[in-house]
Amino acid sequence: MALWMPQDPMLQMVFMFGIGAIIFSLLLLILVFLLRVRVLIRQRRQRFYEAQWQPLLAECVFAVPAQLPQVSRNMRYHFLRVWNFHHESLVGASRANLKALARAMHLEEIARELMYTGNLRERMIAVMTLGHLGDRTQWHELRALVSDPSPVLSLLAARALLDIDASSILAWLVTVMAARDDWPMSRVVTMLKEVGPEVATQPLISAVEATASSKGAEAQVARLLRMMEVAHTERVLPVAGKIVRQVKSPELIAAALRLVQDPRDLDIVRAYAAHEAWFVRVSAIRVLGRIGDVSDRRLLTGMLSDPQWWVRYRAARALLALPGTRIEDLEKISGTLEDRFAADILGQAIAEARSS
Amino acid sequence: MTVNDWVEGAQWFFMLYFIGINTGYLMLNLLSLGSLKRYVEAHSLDDIPSRLSGFELPVSVLVPAYNEQVTIASSVRSILQLDYPEFEVIVINDGSRDGTMEALRREFGLEPFPEAYWQRLSVKPVRAIYRSKMHPTLRVIDKENGGKADALNAGINASRYPLFCSVDADSVLERVSMRRVVQPFLENPHTIASGGSIRIANGCTFDSGFLTSKGLPRNPLALFQVVEYMRAFLFGRLGWSPLNAVLIISGAFGVFRKEVVVKAGGYRTDTVGEDMELVVRLHRLHRTGNIPYRIVFVPDPVCWTEAPQKLLVLKNQRMRWQRGLIESLTLNIGLLFHRRGGTAGWLAFPFMVLFEWLGPLVEVAGYCFMITAFFTGLVSLEAFVTFMLVAFGLGLVLSINSLLLEEISFHIYQKPHQIVVLLLVVVLENFGYRQLNSVWRFWALLLWMFHFKLHWGEMPRSASWQTGPGGPHKGVGQ
Repeated sequence: MALWMPQDPMLQMVFMFGIGAIIFSLLLLILVFLLRVRVLIRQRRQRFYEAQWQPLLAECVFAVPAQLPQVSRNMRYHFLRVWNFHHESLVGASRANLKALARAMHLEEIARELMYTGNLRERMIAVMTLGHLGDRTQWHELRALVSDPSPVLSLLAARALLDIDASSILAWLVTVMAARDDWPMSRVVTMLKEVGPEVATQPLISAVEATASSKGAEAQVARLLRMMEVAHTERVLPVAGKIVRQVKSPELIAAALRLVQDPRDLDIVRAYAAHEAWFVRVSAIRVLGRIGDVSDRRLLTGMLSDPQWWVRYRAARALLALPGTRIEDLEKISGTLEDRFAADILGQAIAEARSS
Repeated sequence: MTVNDWVEGAQWFFMLYFIGINTGYLMLNLLSLGSLKRYVEAHSLDDIPSRLSGFELPVSVLVPAYNEQVTIASSVRSILQLDYPEFEVIVINDGSRDGTMEALRREFGLEPFPEAYWQRLSVKPVRAIYRSKMHPTLRVIDKENGGKADALNAGINASRYPLFCSVDADSVLERVSMRRVVQPFLENPHTIASGGSIRIANGCTFDSGFLTSKGLPRNPLALFQVVEYMRAFLFGRLGWSPLNAVLIISGAFGVFRKEVVVKAGGYRTDTVGEDMELVVRLHRLHRTGNIPYRIVFVPDPVCWTEAPQKLLVLKNQRMRWQRGLIESLTLNIGLLFHRRGGTAGWLAFPFMVLFEWLGPLVEVAGYCFMITAFFTGLVSLEAFVTFMLVAFGLGLVLSINSLLLEEISFHIYQKPHQIVVLLLVVVLENFGYRQLNSVWRFWALLLWMFHFKLHWGEMPRSASWQTGPGGPHKGVGQ
């Protein structure tokens, strides 16, 4: 039977295009169906193995299990996922048991292989595993991965290095953390918190001191100042006082003010309360709320009339936080205020304080 | 030129337009395929527990509500349980005529709060501001009716945090939704807006405002919309994201950098497509002002919404969307082929004008012309069959492709019978449903051209997903 075809050659071409689209659709339909079958088989296999692995990994809460889980070659990625999941969920001796189990199973060898041969998700889990196992053999490779353009992979490599030996890598790593603005600050700070202030403080202080005076490095300094919030307060205080006097950019002043805790720096803080940038005024007022004294009441009352809502709001909150201040005192002040905006904002702050 | 020449010219114009529009969408498909694969791989370890730093950006969740007495309490309760370190919820009662305000008072123990309201964006008068005694992070603004855009602007005025998230009062959010959608802001300081993928709630079951199982609706209209949403979000938006040319972020769930939106003037109150208009305007202002920025789409299914199950309601919704799209484009026409327009001005905008704005006109005209011309003998059987073959064949490729994207990424619908139903639906939607949509959109285009005001009617909510804590599991609109 001959195929029905238009006579016109142009129409013939379009007709074949349409037939091609229908055939392609059918192939796609089959592909979708096959993909679903593959997913179902994979899920079933995963459930089967995980049912065997879970009790053994759960045993690690108490001791290293005598029997090792069986992991076939095509289930290696899934086992590493489950193992890392447990590692992140457990603490103390349980983690040590989990590591012992991993060593007995030679997981570091699997991770090393996946780090070189795997796709992105396999490399990610491999890097995470090597970090958790403290595997030093891949130190240089992990260090090179920190420069990888993928923020996910490079961050995992940085964390692995910190897991392996934080004290020897942190001095270099904080400079990378300051430079890579594609690394979310929340992740960076989490890593530094895990390392702890004992290890993190000095490298951070050194990096800030080295960078603060460099031209064109404002963004890095701002990131470093934010990171310093995880460092030891008493060691940060002198640096914060110095930086807050040294820097000129409003963004950096605001960032540095967040670290100020020393009453000896109050004079410069009070001066910044009159800064032209509103966010610097907000930061200065917040410091006054933290470490200011009764003598700041007049300054703060005056700032209730600031044109910026946030400055007024923070001044009202700071007034409430000053030592020896009672809500009744502020209600009295509120009654004397002629500026309606000042009275409104103080009224809001008083209501918030009463309801909290 | 003879009549036959005109007819032949028109026949080829429509045929080539159909090939062009579908090829354009297929290109978007290819772009989405790459982005989706990278996204899924990069987020493959997201379920491994991680600690919080306290440095996550805090978010103000804005919930505009007009006559939402049935759904509002459940929606707010589900938002309050979001898995996110720091956020506030601001419900804006936009002059509701039903018991929305009473429901909020009763459920959340509201008390008047003397807030020094900061009117940065001009809005209709605010009657009062309330704060919840039970949830200190919940505030309610009671204001005169001014529409959704006005309500959102009032919410922006009252918000305290650097990011705000607009959420529809009838939507249900995934617990992790906020983390997912805020992530682009953490990864790139130039991100100014980020939108999440919306899926159909009909057929799913919910408990206490949270999704407990994902299912397909029995209503055929809702079923077609399941596939339609997959297509719209998995390649309609994802494809544009790596090019920084996403022109639509759904009003049902989108996160924005507040200062940028305030600087741009907030939401426009004179358009029905305030969500799309804002995004296109942000593109225009940033591109023409040479300011670096990113507008991102996150493909994770993060928000579930109830789909219309009645033809009239669906028609009204689609006509409103089409009107919103046209208004968003006309109000920001300066972006089109602007010398600094970039991918948004030179690719996405013309694409929208050609295929989304004028598309329904050409599609409906194409079908009408070919059918009329065939029955009057002006077009041969061969040409008619070829046209239909191309139109349906390419439509079919696109429909199945969206299912393919779903299969390689999230495969939300897990049961084997669900995939069979979906496969059937992607084929069937090409025989009537898509054409019907084109007719509605064409009608909306005509009304816009002749400056007709549209009467939208209201979207009736079944709200059957509302169950109290520990209450029975229920499904939506099955």
